[in-house]
Amino acid sequence: MSNGQSESHDRVIIRQLPTGVPGLDEILGGGIPEYSFNIVAGAPGCGKTTLVHQFVFANASLECPALYFTVLGEPAVKMLRYQQQFTFFDQSKLVDSIRFINLSQFVLENDLGAVLEEIIRQVEAHDARMVVVDSFRTVVRKVRSSATEMELQGFVQRLALHLTSWQVTSFLIGEYVEAELRDNPVFTVSDGLFWLFQSAERNSIVRKMQIMKLRGQESVPGLHTFRITQDGVQTFPRTFGLAQESGHIKGQRRLSTGVRKLDALMDGGIPDGSSLLLAGPSGSGKSIMASQFIAEGLRQGEPGVVAIFEELPSEYIRRAGQFGFDFETPLKDGTLKLIYIRPLDLSVDETVYAIVDAVKQVGAKRVVIDSMVGFEMALAPDFRYEFRESLYRMIGALTRLGVTVFSTVEVEENFTSMGLSNFAISFLSDDILRLRYVSINGQLRKMLMVVKMRGSAHSIDIWEYEITNQGIVIGEPLRGYRGLTTGIPGPWFEEGDREPGEVAKGPPDSKGDSHD
Amino acid sequence: MSNPSAAIRAWAQRLLAAEATHQPASDTHGHEVIRVCEKLRVSLTPFVGADGFTVLLRRALALSRAEVPLLQTIKVTAGGQLERMEAAPADSGQEREAAIAITAHLLGLLVTFIGESLTLRLTRKALPEAPDLIFESEDVK
Repeated sequence: MSNGQSESHDRVIIRQLPTGVPGLDEILGGGIPEYSFNIVAGAPGCGKTTLVHQFVFANASLECPALYFTVLGEPAVKMLRYQQQFTFFDQSKLVDSIRFINLSQFVLENDLGAVLEEIIRQVEAHDARMVVVDSFRTVVRKVRSSATEMELQGFVQRLALHLTSWQVTSFLIGEYVEAELRDNPVFTVSDGLFWLFQSAERNSIVRKMQIMKLRGQESVPGLHTFRITQDGVQTFPRTFGLAQESGHIKGQRRLSTGVRKLDALMDGGIPDGSSLLLAGPSGSGKSIMASQFIAEGLRQGEPGVVAIFEELPSEYIRRAGQFGFDFETPLKDGTLKLIYIRPLDLSVDETVYAIVDAVKQVGAKRVVIDSMVGFEMALAPDFRYEFRESLYRMIGALTRLGVTVFSTVEVEENFTSMGLSNFAISFLSDDILRLRYVSINGQLRKMLMVVKMRGSAHSIDIWEYEITNQGIVIGEPLRGYRGLTTGIPGPWFEEGDREPGEVAKGPPDSKGDSHD
Repeated sequence: MSNPSAAIRAWAQRLLAAEATHQPASDTHGHEVIRVCEKLRVSLTPFVGADGFTVLLRRALALSRAEVPLLQTIKVTAGGQLERMEAAPADSGQEREAAIAITAHLLGLLVTFIGESLTLRLTRKALPEAPDLIFESEDVK
């Protein structure tokens, strides 16, 4: 129905307008409520004007014209000069669909009532459907010196009333600070309050957005990362575009790692849709095993995505080739995607977006993140504080897609204990494999343990393995030693030791989770 | 975007017709669209405020002007009343169209902002004598 009538007669359905900002509709719970009165607040340079321009250009047309009032802020000529560098800027919409009106002189020479009348006059004359006042803060600052608080409140209230009744969706842009939230009438009257934050930390700029208020619909709470590129503002919702419930049920089948004997130790392979963490020291073969996992998937017709943070893609492909894994062909065929991310000011959310995007593009069933350490290093310092929480959301998002995630993490070895990772992220993983160097008979040998396999009767033995030109090859269980997990074992003397080859028989989780 | 549906137009027509048949001899408000708007104003002002109703009626008039050129001379007073409606020639088809357009757009705006159910509730309160206000769901689908 054209006039906004609802299909259900019990309550009004509020139409939502697309923002034109990637990711923002999802954050808002669908889009901008039609006829809402919104504030976009934040410090200078954080992207307020660009954000609103994107909305206006996405929605303005001859039938749905926009008025853009500039007031004592950035002059329109400069604004247009800079904004047209963005790809969303469509010159054909200017003048007729998007009209710029400079109110600076009018605001300087007149009181609040006259300013209100002028805005209303222009809105009615042009039958505007969208209105932007940039910067509204300067209007308020100018009148605050002469008007009382009540007059200001009355002005804001009448402005909101007129714009909404005139079926206008409006945005007031202002350089506000959070301390003003309490006693500023603008925030009370507004339907939507978008707060943009920007902070510079060392060599990185971190931008985040919060929807502090949005009447009539459920927005995604919290701070969402955003970036300004030549395409304008792009937001990265904390939900990663995966707000809907997943229909995927984990563990319906087992994925082969590409190492047959390892599959057997893992009760048949990695349960699909689960998250596996492979922890081990430098040079222990983590990346090789990860490559083997991807190569096996490709062999079985399962597309994959590899996110690398340390090696260059060409180097990664070349090294995989040395072990007989051909990554060049599937890359050309579009069944493998290699994501190389190393800008040093990333957020986890941006990275996950890149991974999720790649997963959707190739229809990936397997994802490798190699490695968590490199991933952390690629983040802006500000995001490292929330790395663990972000990983939790990331792994949840990826496994909800039905993808099996194979992450590697480098651990620093010592000879008194056996850590699983430096990030305390092992709780995020359904399955954990641990690689370790061990000193035996004057040799530095390699051993592998299946530390945890959720819901599986996995091997509890400690296995020796080798890195060959075919990849990882599992050897025999290391028997007759005590203290293997310290890396410096001694001979086992006690009688009544477990028989070689014995496997956990009790409840899988209780035995599977135990380790030194 | 702002055109009321056929159902709302029909409803406006029924409201105006009902108002015409119920006009008491003592009523000095003249045209039925003025009386309907006045009753809505009195009833809605406690909810939306005097300013709020005035702006809605102005918006309804602005939308109606695009359909009925006759309305170019009609104004909404600061108090939220239609002005100069009587100046239009009586019994003309355009005048009837103008009355329906204003009423339909006003009701359409209310439906847009507060939904059908609440609009019906408030309208029934404003025009309790109108017999034909039931907004059948099949009408609007």
